[in-house]
Amino acid sequence: MFNRILVPTDGSPAARRALARALDLARGRNAQVTVFWVAPPWEPNLYAYDGNVPAGFVSPRQHVSHVKKAAERHLAPARKAARSAGVRGRFIHREGAFPDLEIIRMAKRDRCDLIVMGSHGPRGFLRVIIGSVTAKVLAQASVPVMVCR
Amino acid sequence: MFKKILVPTDGSAPAARAIKQAVRLAREQDAEIVGFYVGPPWSMPVYGEYLPPEVLSEEVHVRAVKDAADRYLREVRNAAAAAGVKTRCYHVLGEHPHEEILKAARQNHCDLIVIASHGRRGLSRLLLGSETSKVLARSRLPVMVCR
Repeated sequence: MFNRILVPTDGSPAARRALARALDLARGRNAQVTVFWVAPPWEPNLYAYDGNVPAGFVSPRQHVSHVKKAAERHLAPARKAARSAGVRGRFIHREGAFPDLEIIRMAKRDRCDLIVMGSHGPRGFLRVIIGSVTAKVLAQASVPVMVCR
Repeated sequence: MFKKILVPTDGSAPAARAIKQAVRLAREQDAEIVGFYVGPPWSMPVYGEYLPPEVLSEEVHVRAVKDAADRYLREVRNAAAAAGVKTRCYHVLGEHPHEEILKAARQNHCDLIVIASHGRRGLSRLLLGSETSKVLARSRLPVMVCR
């Protein structure tokens, strides 16, 4: 029934469990998963002045390289898990200031028919609330969203 | 992977769409569906000296809720039967639908809840329906939100 499953990830335990469920749904059905990580965009450093650059300044080029490394950290385990499960997958990252928007865009672009995601990211700890990105995706998605804890 | 799916309904159009999705998923997963409706509890109206004739007795209220439940849950039964999916449907009366929903999921040993994003009171004012939000916040099971 669900043939193209979008699995946004932020590396949190809930996201890992969401991926496991997505792979379970996709397994043996020739469905495909798109595992997707949104990186923060480069921000111009406001403290550079007089040609003196404070420690910690990151150039746009350095940012791209940091993002690439972080993406590998997030997506490599997913790639491995998909391979073990025998599920076809795409493993993508994008930069964006608004992860929920990027997720919705990717769902449309990839013609996904289901989104499976964690209930909250690494900063979530109260059981009574749901993470902000998940909440915003729920508000905007036009396909079903399976929320996993 | 899913063996028993709880499908709460309030008889609304979004709920009808969620029922369809749940049945399709259940058929694919060879799972059972538990259809569930929470009706409002009866409360004794408090009046002064005059009791209006339209006040419902508890008995009448309970029967009205049961009629509504039968109508709403018939959608689940019909959809499940058409797809060859095993189903069990029931209703309760409760002040807080989300609490009853979570209790039903536990009592029936469900492993997934499929629920509409919004219910009767509609889309325009809320990003996500109030009962759906509360189910999401407190469920330990995965919850598939349909629209």
